[in-house]
Amino acid sequence: MKTSKSTAILLLAWASVVASLHAQSNSAAAPQLPAIEVRMVKAGEIPLPAEFQVALYEDLIQEFQKKGAFRQVYRDGERNAANTPGVVSLYTTVKNFKQGSELERDVTTVGGATSITVLCQFKAKDGTVLLERNIQGKVRLIGDNLKATDNFAKKAAEITPESLAASTVPSDASEVKGIM
Amino acid sequence: MIFKLARMKALPVLLSMSAFIPFGLAQQAPVSTEAVQLVGMAGFNNNSKGHLKVDDGVLSFASSKNNTSISAGSIDDVVTGRDSERVLGGTVGTLSRLAPYGGGTALSLLRKKVDTITIEYRDSGGGLHGAIFTMPVGEAESIKQALLAGGAHTSIPTIADAGANSPAQSDAREQVH
Repeated sequence: MKTSKSTAILLLAWASVVASLHAQSNSAAAPQLPAIEVRMVKAGEIPLPAEFQVALYEDLIQEFQKKGAFRQVYRDGERNAANTPGVVSLYTTVKNFKQGSELERDVTTVGGATSITVLCQFKAKDGTVLLERNIQGKVRLIGDNLKATDNFAKKAAEITPESLAASTVPSDASEVKGIM
Repeated sequence: MIFKLARMKALPVLLSMSAFIPFGLAQQAPVSTEAVQLVGMAGFNNNSKGHLKVDDGVLSFASSKNNTSISAGSIDDVVTGRDSERVLGGTVGTLSRLAPYGGGTALSLLRKKVDTITIEYRDSGGGLHGAIFTMPVGEAESIKQALLAGGAHTSIPTIADAGANSPAQSDAREQVH
């Protein structure tokens, strides 16, 4: 009876040691995900309708939240972002915009595409550019013109903390047209 | 005694002058319309149908499931525009594209014009939000006017201001797409 009790105590102690070691190794393996602050899209010198500017910004936030690759997604000007260590800021500037027509797309099926090219710069808190890419959004066939912003945001949200870490040297604004 | 008499004489004069107080200082009547929230309002799915209302300097949007309101004073920018959309939207609209003998193309020619209103506002934490609504033609300008009267700001002058200053400025964005 006494032996079985002491064996049980030993087993419990061994299990707790194994569990704590496992937890330690897990926390060491899981990297601390950075947060991202999405800045309002700048139209630059391109005459961009207000609804496209807002749709680009809101779609970016929605897509980053959906992907969950970043611990927290902050909006432009959010006070909490300033106090968050390791926050990455996403600056976006529209480089090219061609507004097509949904009616033309429906009727011709080849013309009337809407396309938008946005320069995305991921910057560290100190202003260092971590990654720079031109990302294009398009609607070719089905959908209204604002679908181009959704298409752009989906591609932009493919950029993860891992891809930021991998790109030690900022790329020279390479064109991203398809899936990144 | 003399002062009291003078005050009594002044009262009718003041009352008659009150009729000339400009309407702008009076409380703005509520403005409301049916609208579709395309993107941006917290707590709503994209393309939610609902009721948009501006009352006493507060913009509120209510659907059958949810409602939210924003103070006009927190709105940094209000821009109106015009667009057109397919009469047959949603899943029915998508399926109608498959109609045989060019029926899908013919159905896509059936379009209606809509007004759009785009707003940018800040929440209590300083975060910038944007929201886009579409509504029946002619409604966006009255919503914008009500928001401006409630303390909202705009980067594009209203029709009245644009007429007095530079008409080309407001036309830059307000085009039929």
